[in-house]
Amino acid sequence: MIIAAESWGRPFFKNSFSVAAAFALPFILWRMPLLHLAPNRLVSGEAISSTTALGAALWPLLILVALGPCLALTGRGRIAGFLALVTCAGAFALLLAALGSGAHDLLAGQPAAARARLAAGAWLTGFGLCFGMLQGARAIRIPAPGWLVAACIALVVVSLGASGLLDALSLTVELRGRRDGLIQAILDYLALTGGALVLASLVVAALGSWRRGRAVVDLLVSGLQVVPAVALLGGLVAAASALLAMLPALRGLGLSALGSGPALIGIAAYLLLPLWRGLQSALRAPDPAMLDAARAIGLTPRQIFVDLRLPLGAPILIGGLRVAAVQALGLATLAPLVGAGGLGRLVFDGMAQFAPDLIVLGAVPVVGLSLATESGLSTVEAALRRRWSS
Amino acid sequence: MIAVFRPALAPLLLGLALAAASHPAFARLLTGGGARPLAAERLLDLALNHLLLAGTGFLVVALLGLGLGIAATRPAFASLRPAIDTLAAFAQAVPPVVVVALALPILGFGGPPTLLALLAYGIMPVLRGIVGAIETVPAEARSAAEAIGFKEIQILLGVELPLAVHGIFETLRTAFILSVSVAAVGALAGAPTLGTPIVAGLQNQNLAAMLQGTLATAALAFLGDGLLQAVAGRIERR
Repeated sequence: MIIAAESWGRPFFKNSFSVAAAFALPFILWRMPLLHLAPNRLVSGEAISSTTALGAALWPLLILVALGPCLALTGRGRIAGFLALVTCAGAFALLLAALGSGAHDLLAGQPAAARARLAAGAWLTGFGLCFGMLQGARAIRIPAPGWLVAACIALVVVSLGASGLLDALSLTVELRGRRDGLIQAILDYLALTGGALVLASLVVAALGSWRRGRAVVDLLVSGLQVVPAVALLGGLVAAASALLAMLPALRGLGLSALGSGPALIGIAAYLLLPLWRGLQSALRAPDPAMLDAARAIGLTPRQIFVDLRLPLGAPILIGGLRVAAVQALGLATLAPLVGAGGLGRLVFDGMAQFAPDLIVLGAVPVVGLSLATESGLSTVEAALRRRWSS
Repeated sequence: MIAVFRPALAPLLLGLALAAASHPAFARLLTGGGARPLAAERLLDLALNHLLLAGTGFLVVALLGLGLGIAATRPAFASLRPAIDTLAAFAQAVPPVVVVALALPILGFGGPPTLLALLAYGIMPVLRGIVGAIETVPAEARSAAEAIGFKEIQILLGVELPLAVHGIFETLRTAFILSVSVAAVGALAGAPTLGTPIVAGLQNQNLAAMLQGTLATAALAFLGDGLLQAVAGRIERR
């Protein structure tokens, strides 16, 4: 009796969930605002519904948007996965193209400052389709499905952008005005994140060689984690200004209370914990009995390191680095608070000017870089594990 | 009794010391004559508001995460695990400032965008942590309970949750610290929290207020952490 209930229960739950998902996305596309038409870049404007924004593409899109995610969630096997990936990617491309031309039609006859902005319904449908693509790519069982999906999305966006179909969307307009600033911001952001990672790694390496103080370092590093980021950044600036007020001569050396300095130190402080934990568990990975055995059969310290410590420890160390890197990218968005630059600057400026396009322009690369770092480093981690486990 | 509370003692004492140090008299002493520190009542107001905002977010995140985490570990939903991990990675990729900023045009200034950031940034790590904690319960414990005739709900309440309680509390502690941190970020969206004197102090060079905000925010985080550790110690004992 129980067995019967269970074998009936599982597919039922799964199917009802998939059917709900398959209805949710078309419903969002149909009912939620897809575009906002605003007289200038600083106001949100009036909501435009699906029939006006999409025109003749509405019905084909509704069908594709229902079909793709449903295939991705219920389908089994590689063929179903491939079909889901293609359907979702096609729906994504059609959605973008239709919204682009819809925005173009809406702006015809409007003053030059008018903007047609992507609204919540468009973003949600886009995310849903990307998620469907990812599920489909996973079902095909190729290595690195995330990168295939990222390549698909990039291909769609770049080719549509190059053909000029997206020119009427406000994000494209904002991007065109700020291309150089955006590239500089991405470089600054990466420099800040990379700098903090290097700084934290050096500190952790130095602390790692201090054998007696392990308990103290443990306590200190996890205590730092409790301090909220805004408070730590503010505290660093306060401490630096107090120091400069006491010793004004330091100003002559180029030190200042605001800027990249406190941002770097503040971000690095939070990276100590993941890196420290990674280092400690990597060092502890080979158990003492194993090391004793290795010494007993006459392996040199070099051989022990190459054959035992490195294969067992390296994936764990990379795991710590992955957590730290993703945290660093997130924390670096707070850097403008203390006067440093980077992509956070665009987000802060957008907040100050109340300009949604500018916020999105800063946010999209932040999310993209973070996802790429996470998936890139977990690929390395998995590859190291596979290579040495066989 | 003392042994149960010992791990909680250090954060509680540190929190009390930091809270005492955020008093205007101390800030004036530290930053010198021209300082313009915040009055103690104003600071207390901000602290209560901060706690209310962070506490609301934490409660919703904890309840939702616990419910969804229990649901996700039922056999019927086992196929949803990769989807949960993907969503968690995505939620982690959107920093709180960005959530606050993106919600600003839709939800306006103040509490609502901050609360949204609390939920958006907090829910997936909690869900993942709770699923992880429940999955550490050995399968033998579950099948033994099944063999002596426990029902699903009895296995959950009598076996899985008690065995996973340490992991669940660790997850909730992290979530609380995260909530206090995100609520401080909410000051950027105009929510009156302890982040407000920090942000305002950075803008108009008010070193005393900045220092007070910093110390008080850290105090709140340490006090909450200590209290949660004390509660966890008691419950895990039982």
